[in-house]
Amino acid sequence: MSARICNRCVLPEAPPDIRLDDAGMCNICHNFDEEQRCAEPDDRGLLETDFLKIIEKHRGKHEYDCLCMLSGGKDSTAALYYVKERYKLNPLVFTFNHGFVPDEHIASAQRTVEKLGVDFVYFQTNFMKDLFRKIVETKSKVVICPVCSLWYMLKTYEIAAQFDVPIIVSGWTKGQTTGSTRSVLSKCACDQNPDEFKAMTEATRRFMKEQVKTDPKYRDFPMTMEEVLRIAKKKYKSKAIVLSPHWFVPGGPDEYVPVIREQLGWEYTARSYPRQSTNCDLNFLASKLAMENYGYSVYHIEMSNMIRMGLVTREEALDLLEMDVDGEIFDDVLKKLNIEAQHQ
Amino acid sequence: MTILGISCYYHDSCAALIHDGRVVAAAQEERFNRDKYSPVFPIQAVNYCLQEAGLTIYDVDEITFYEKMYLKFERTVLSHLAGYPFTLRNFLDTMPLWLKDRLTVSATIEDELSIKRPVRYVKHHLSHAASGFLLSPFERAAILTVDGVGEYACAAYGSGSGTAIELRKEMHYPHSLGLLYSIVTAYLGFRVFSGEGKVMALAEYGEPSFLDEFRKIVHARSDGSFELDTSYFSFNRGDRMHNRRFEKLFGSPRPPGEELNDRHRNIAASLQRLTEIVLIDMVRHVARESGEKNLCLAGGVFLNVTANSRIREESDFQEIFIQPAAGDAGAALGAALYLYHSVLGNPRMPSLKSCALGASFSDRAIQVLLRNRGVRFRAMESDELVAEAADRLAAKQIVGWFRGRMEFGPRALGNRSILAHPGDPEMKDRLNLIIKHREAFRPFGASVLREHMAEFFEQDWSSPFMLFIARVHAAKIDAIPAVVHVNGSSRIQTVTSEENGIYYDLIEAFRERTGLPMLLNTSFNDSEPIVHTPEEALRCFEDTDMDCLVIGGYLVEQ
Ligand SMILES: [Fe+2]
Ligand SMILES: [Zn+2]
Repeated sequence: MSARICNRCVLPEAPPDIRLDDAGMCNICHNFDEEQRCAEPDDRGLLETDFLKIIEKHRGKHEYDCLCMLSGGKDSTAALYYVKERYKLNPLVFTFNHGFVPDEHIASAQRTVEKLGVDFVYFQTNFMKDLFRKIVETKSKVVICPVCSLWYMLKTYEIAAQFDVPIIVSGWTKGQTTGSTRSVLSKCACDQNPDEFKAMTEATRRFMKEQVKTDPKYRDFPMTMEEVLRIAKKKYKSKAIVLSPHWFVPGGPDEYVPVIREQLGWEYTARSYPRQSTNCDLNFLASKLAMENYGYSVYHIEMSNMIRMGLVTREEALDLLEMDVDGEIFDDVLKKLNIEAQHQ
Repeated sequence: MTILGISCYYHDSCAALIHDGRVVAAAQEERFNRDKYSPVFPIQAVNYCLQEAGLTIYDVDEITFYEKMYLKFERTVLSHLAGYPFTLRNFLDTMPLWLKDRLTVSATIEDELSIKRPVRYVKHHLSHAASGFLLSPFERAAILTVDGVGEYACAAYGSGSGTAIELRKEMHYPHSLGLLYSIVTAYLGFRVFSGEGKVMALAEYGEPSFLDEFRKIVHARSDGSFELDTSYFSFNRGDRMHNRRFEKLFGSPRPPGEELNDRHRNIAASLQRLTEIVLIDMVRHVARESGEKNLCLAGGVFLNVTANSRIREESDFQEIFIQPAAGDAGAALGAALYLYHSVLGNPRMPSLKSCALGASFSDRAIQVLLRNRGVRFRAMESDELVAEAADRLAAKQIVGWFRGRMEFGPRALGNRSILAHPGDPEMKDRLNLIIKHREAFRPFGASVLREHMAEFFEQDWSSPFMLFIARVHAAKIDAIPAVVHVNGSSRIQTVTSEENGIYYDLIEAFRERTGLPMLLNTSFNDSEPIVHTPEEALRCFEDTDMDCLVIGGYLVEQ
């Protein structure tokens, strides 16, 4: 399958949600430009002082000011660094492992935690393994990451509630939110409603209904991010909000990677997709399947946003998104899932 | 010691930051929110200044606020003035904000910036005076501040010595030159705040035949103080500031857009002449009373380059320093400087040599933009870029020039500029019509190599911030028609190698090709605020008929 790719971002033609015009530019890019053009003087982007406004409401009122989600990658490491050193908050760090996180990522997270001298919660579970296997076996078009994120966000809220933490800090990049000031500040910002997410979201909904809800083991598994928020509020009594400092500070990895390298001795991990990220091993398979099913992965969506925001060039994005791994990694993952390797 | 200076709620709001003994950054909010003369709390400018310094708001020790007088009467007057004959929107929007007193301003600052810091209020004229004197090269000097266009009414003078500033006399509303200038600007059918420069340009096309009429409404004394005869004004009407008596003297007002005639031109000329006379009287009086050799000027009136030049020539002062951001924006910086030096006693910093106090953008960020927009560009070393741009300018191309940090204040001085051949007789019309979409009578300034100035001009002095005009040698007028105003003068910025770097190199390269040691320089914008980001520069470039764009280390062609 080699669909035409938008000449501005990295999304392929995928009707009806993603359409290219005669000049080769996609509707998502057009929408972005249109929004920029219609911007009023007062609907500005997010500013650092907006972030401070939120944290100052909570500073010092709890044992921990915030819960930092840390994968060990550049984005979450920089977010934690900002929180601790730039904003002088007292964070609790939380690393989640569903069994597919490579050791070197965990080690990277641990190094950062030690260097910064912050408290650390590490949570490992095999709970989702059967679910992942089911996704592969049923050849469902559901994308693994959004499903997984439902669970780990719920887990994150649970930890936040347990330690009475008012703010959850993620390392999500500017490319991982397309929301305006208001929408970002009012919910979890996992906005999966834009056009480029439509098909994936629909597949998730169907899979959750047909395969997850019906499985006794996953009876309590949340169906949507809205449900996660509901459970967090009702069951855990958590009013925690989720924010990423990256949304509020200008620039991107070009600015913060050198900082964490110098200050924390942080380095890129060897094994992850896309390159220069720190995503789990399962993500290789998830992205490969997404490419087969849709022609693009969630990282194509994120990178496309980053391109539109002027944080990365299209060439660089295409380069990072290229999957240049041998089949071994897929065999490894499938073996872990107790599935007979079908790939060479 | 880190001090954040803020001005807002009137017009042209601004933030300025002093850190580690120097002015690290200063910028007007309009550049960020793209709303010309925006009066809102300068939240984006504050964020920018801190980021420029690598600081957060937690690092700020003190906050200063440039204080305006919040008198109800003046508020009413100015809202009328600003609205007439155009929309009242801007002012009605900000009206409630004007009611803010110190308490609510402090609360707003605390709320917007999420920190508790005592807010220090610095008086209006002290802020202006500090912005003029403390960044001047003078150890001691006389100081004169005159409020500018549409500002709150008044003038003050005194002197500065070391870090101390003393103002001896103030003149109060409504006896204000700035106010008069704005009233007549509105009467002539131009927009208050942006139209005053047009009136000044128009003045050169007329004769001061209404000077006697102006004398009737302005009772000037020889010391430069004066009184406006308020019976010619109606401060309580909603639709205009002058009244029927005024119209009896000057005729009916010009509706905006209506063709300009000799009467309009003569009124403009008379107003300008009167302004000059009053200012020169004031300056002479200040000279006599202070006994100082040097003079510092601030306040929006001193954006009037014609008056500035007469002051420079006709006063007894040896040297004059004018704060380049003469109006409210500069006063935010002045307030911070006043606290830093005059209140806290910190030693003076080096004098202000450059207005480049705004944001710069890395070549990397520019390249990402160009690539992602599918714009064809060429990456070049500085010397190649200079040579290429000079070739093109010599071939009469119009070049967008976007490099380094944005200028603070209303002028583009070679970092956010549109440049062109000063010797092309067609150039003025081409620029006014095609790029800037503005009135044909408005002249363009020139950036001149300092050491070659005397070859073309009768004067031979520095004007680094384009705040003076110089008379062109009669024999040279035909050589540089695009930058000579109808009266045979040019508004000029003198450029030196030490202070202007690559911009100097460019003009020098142009001189080698054409024999002209200068370029026509106008601000990089169409009718919006001067461009701030590479993206805005690219958009302006694409929307107008510039021939090429130099942006960072790259050359882009149409
Ligand atoms: Fe003023
Ligand atoms: Zn696109």
